[in-house]
Amino acid sequence: MASEDEEFTMLFQDFYPSLCRFLECLLGGRAPLAQDLAQESFLQLHRTAWGTMPVDEARFWLYRVARNLAINEFRKSHTRYRLFDRVVETMRPRARNPEQEYETQERQTLVLEMLQTLPEDQRTALLLREQEQLSYREIGQVLNVSESKVKVDIFRARASLRERWTRISHVNPV
Amino acid sequence: MNCSFSEKISSLIDGELSTAEAREVERHLVGCTHCQQVRADFLNLRSQLASFETSLEPAVQNRALKKILSTPRRTPARGFAWSFGTQAAAFATLVIVATIIGFLIYKSSNTNTNDKHLAVQTSSPVPTASVQPEASPSPNNKGNEQTAPRRSPSPAPKKPLVREPKPGEQFAAIPSTPEPVRSADTQTMTALHFEKSETLLVAFRNVRLNEPGTTAEVAYERKRAQQLVLQNMMLRREADAAGDVQISSLLENLEPILIDISNLPDKPDKDAIRVIRQRVERKNIVPLLRVNSIALARALD
Repeated sequence: MASEDEEFTMLFQDFYPSLCRFLECLLGGRAPLAQDLAQESFLQLHRTAWGTMPVDEARFWLYRVARNLAINEFRKSHTRYRLFDRVVETMRPRARNPEQEYETQERQTLVLEMLQTLPEDQRTALLLREQEQLSYREIGQVLNVSESKVKVDIFRARASLRERWTRISHVNPV
Repeated sequence: MNCSFSEKISSLIDGELSTAEAREVERHLVGCTHCQQVRADFLNLRSQLASFETSLEPAVQNRALKKILSTPRRTPARGFAWSFGTQAAAFATLVIVATIIGFLIYKSSNTNTNDKHLAVQTSSPVPTASVQPEASPSPNNKGNEQTAPRRSPSPAPKKPLVREPKPGEQFAAIPSTPEPVRSADTQTMTALHFEKSETLLVAFRNVRLNEPGTTAEVAYERKRAQQLVLQNMMLRREADAAGDVQISSLLENLEPILIDISNLPDKPDKDAIRVIRQRVERKNIVPLLRVNSIALARALD
């Protein structure tokens, strides 16, 4: 059991930040909620499924659970967390260079806003590809869809974001 | 996106093209400025997404880990993924089961007259042999025969998994190739499993939501569900292997419900319990379990 816990701790330390980031992008910001859902995903893994699958599979499993939890959140009232998130966002510790921090913040907000314009399945597929570097086959496993759908979804997501990005750049050149 | 290569560029930067395809796209890229721009934009987008920073503090991460490790673990349940998207999965299962049953009923009603001739040739010289009880049915048919009089006493299921044979259908339904027979032990275990599951679901239905102590009661149901999940999986696999569609379908419908009950948190909210109850009601699981457990038990007599 001890070694199982050690192994779990390693996976957690390694993967929890990635899962938080994935969820934050999926949810359109809302970092505290993303962290809660990531924690809930790991909790479910630890309580029910840990030890029944290889570590790689556990990662896919976590993505799947996290995504489902996020979808549940979409369905629930969005406003419950919004105010709290804004408060936390305001209280968040800032980097030493305020100018740089401001730029990063602006860019990230823009990325999140653009991501939110995509359908959920395209957004998830794109995030798993670009942030988590999963192959099409692996994304297909996580989302339980075919590789060809993953390929098309990713392309459409990119094309759509590219178009928006170009439009924004023309209006407000960076 | 004017150029037909745009989609391939997306796959190219993901390393998802074969060597030949990649070469072809690379060659195209040399002469197409539009595609060069597309690739540059896609790569720029990638760097924007990959450089996204989450605001995670180490203290939060450590607290989360501590909390998770301090939570007691449950019996590992393989196939846990069932609890996700169960509504969609349950709906798909229902549709498949309904299709199979519909097909079987349609087929048997169509072939009824033809099969009577077959029955006359194979089992009895009397033209009306198909209604004669003394002709010995196959073991498979025994199950069907036994099931008929024991159709659900309570609200009749809309799509019963155990089809009631029509009069004289016992012989007509003999398949040309005999189905594999499941062992008596497995049947006993399945019957017992159905009984236990039925008891559990009835108890779960009766959990009082408005009284203190709800948690304790659900905790008991949860524990029972955890015990039954693994057995359910095992029996489902055996039923699949034996080609017993009816039992397999019922177990398949039961499994996500057992998993959902076993995954309830320590202090589940009322809505979570209500949702599971509604699913149990909607799927008519309790009467089906009763009907099938009695049918299996009598088949063993």
